[in-house]
Parts: sequence; C-alpha cells; structure tokens
Amino acid sequence: MNDSEHTQWSEDLAAYMLGALEPGETAGFERHLDGCERCQAELRWFEPAVQTLPESIERQKPPRSLRENLMVEVRADVPPAKRPRPRWSWRPAMAFAVMVLAVAAVAGYEIGKGGGGEEGASTVISRSDGITVKMVRKGDGGTLRLTGVDQLPPEKVLEAWVQREGKVEPVPALFVPDREGRASTQIEDMSGVDTVMVTEEPQGGSQEPTSPPIVTMSVPQ
Amino acid sequence: MPLVGRKDPEAFEVLYDRHGGVAYSLAYRIVGNRAAAEEVTQEAFISVWRSGARFDAARGSVRSWLLSVVRNRAIDFLRSKAGKAPKLDFDDDSALEQRPAAERTEEEALRRETAGEIRGALGRLPGEQSKVIELAYFGGFSHSEIAEILSLPMGTVKGRMRLGLEKIRGELAEGLA
Repeated sequence: MNDSEHTQWSEDLAAYMLGALEPGETAGFERHLDGCERCQAELRWFEPAVQTLPESIERQKPPRSLRENLMVEVRADVPPAKRPRPRWSWRPAMAFAVMVLAVAAVAGYEIGKGGGGEEGASTVISRSDGITVKMVRKGDGGTLRLTGVDQLPPEKVLEAWVQREGKVEPVPALFVPDREGRASTQIEDMSGVDTVMVTEEPQGGSQEPTSPPIVTMSVPQ
Repeated sequence: MPLVGRKDPEAFEVLYDRHGGVAYSLAYRIVGNRAAAEEVTQEAFISVWRSGARFDAARGSVRSWLLSVVRNRAIDFLRSKAGKAPKLDFDDDSALEQRPAAERTEEEALRRETAGEIRGALGRLPGEQSKVIELAYFGGFSHSEIAEILSLPMGTVKGRMRLGLEKIRGELAEGLA
C-alpha cells in the first residue's frame, strides 16, 4: 500500500471512530483497515480518547425503576436449572387451582374465636414451610398476618390472592415483611372466599400470579 | 463478565451497579429525556444480558463494550424520532454528585478524576473541534450531515475531528506519563 492511499484513508479514521462515516464508507474503511497496519496502529492510539468521551459527560442518577425492571426481566430469563430456588413450570390460573387443592389437603388449620383479643373476630391459623399464616376475620373483611417470612429482594413485594367461586382475584394492598419476618395485609371483602394465598411479585404487583405461592390457606366457610 | 455470559443474575446485578450510572448518563446525554434514557439503557443492558457470551475481552473493556451498545441504541432511538437533536452543552455539572452510594468505589473515584480531566480536555479544545466531536459522538450525525449543519467542507469536518481526538489523546498521554 502506497503512502497516498494510506493518507486518503487515514483522513477518515477519526470520523470512523466517532461513528460518523456513512454506512458505505464504513464498509470500505473496514476493508482497508484489515490490511493496513498503520491505520490499525493509529486506531489503537486513538481508542482511549474515544473511550473517555462517555466518561466526560454530566452524570445523571438513574431511576430506581430501571434497576428493578432490569432485574425482574433478567431473573425471568434465567433458565430454570440456574434459578436459586428451583421452580416448576408456572401457568398461573391452572397451576393456582391445582396447587390450592394440593396444599389445602395437607395444611392444617386452627379456628378460634376472638382472635388476637379483637371483639367479634374469628381467627384461622395455618402453618406451612416455616411460615405461620393467621387470618383474623372481622365483619366482611379480614387481616392476613404472616410470620417467618424470608426477606425479599428489593425488586419484589408480597401480593395476596383470594379464590372466590373458582375465580382468582388479586388483593390490592401489596406488602413486604419487616425485619422480624412479619407481614400483613388487609382483605376488604372476604365474602365467598374459600382460599387465600400469597406470592412474591415484582414491584407494583401483578394481575395474576407469576410465581408459586409461599403460603396457601383454606378458609372455612 | 463470563458469569453474565453464563446467565448469572447476581453477576449481572454487579455489572449494572458498576456501569449503570454512566450508561444511563450517556443515554440521557444523547436522547435528552429521562423516560427515553431509561428505555434505551434497559434495552442495552438486556441486549448485553442476552449476548454476554459474545463479549471479547481482547477487543476492549466490558465498560467500553457496554457503552458502545448504549450509544448505538440511543442513536438508533434518535434516528427513529427523526430530527430530534440532543443538547450540546458541557457546562452543567450540578448532577455530578448525585450518584448512588454503590458506585462510590475507589475505582469510580479514579474514573471520576479521569472524567474531570477529559471534561477539561474537551473544554480546552477549540470550539470548532469540540463541536464536530459532540455532533458525531453524542448527536449521531455523519460527517456529511455535520458539514451541512455547519456549512463546512466535508474534509474540514474530518480534519477537525482528527485534530480534536489528537489533542484529547495527547493530554491523556501526558497525564499518564
């Protein structure tokens, strides 16, 4: 390659490194670059200057939602074998129904009156996988109280679900465990509810369960 | 990075904590609004998550690779919104200290110091050189578009780009000497 040919291409080097060549010019330059050691050496010399351009700008604080949304998407993308806690194939509505039947068959519960000293309240207690679930019913509503809950990743919340006449409904109030592993939420309308469960969901909650329940409780009518 | 290539969410989380701030800042610098910057940064990181195995350490650092992905995504976003140009000032330093605590590592402090030098180097460039570099790198304009915008011959634009990069590189070399 003669000097004049190199000089001609060399003029394009900075524009190439700044991404400022037209697409056709880029392809031509790259063909030249493959065979030109001088251009390759110049490119290596200039690289640090270009790489520091993004470091030179005013820093902005990314919104928390960016990290949270990213990690939700990433965790959902992990092959099942690599997830920290093995989880089975999850088809929300069907899986919910099957799981409720299975768990309800083995999860014992206790029923008492005047739960927690609250007048006119009845209490149902269930224990499963180290978590104690207490449902204090009063009037049409109820309070679901959990103890022994593991701490959640920052991008997760607890969401309660009720099953009423075979239909699964989300409970609007999302909640998280405190440092002692206690968590509670209000369920405004318990009429006709035969099962309550709780799942881990992304911040903001979900319209249908996206993970297996950490607790499931049958509610006697 | 090999762990990200093997789909390790914890490794990816570390990658984000180390580089998410500058990636988002770059996206914001290019697209000019927070919602779009968030969208662009998220797309870029997900792209890296899904193609992590293609990262070649011999061709540069993870940070450079990641930032090139962010820049390409942001420029694509700008082009899809045809005609939307980014702001071109380097004067607003008010948000410099608003970074997450997790990023305040020794490495980050060193990087900030270096970034300070580069801001200085860019600031010390003649305006005609810094302008063509900004239009190309942060604006995504080709040299012929820049020539048209600034009413200059294309050869002049390419020459100013080269001179500007030579000066920045020269200052870096002096700093490292």
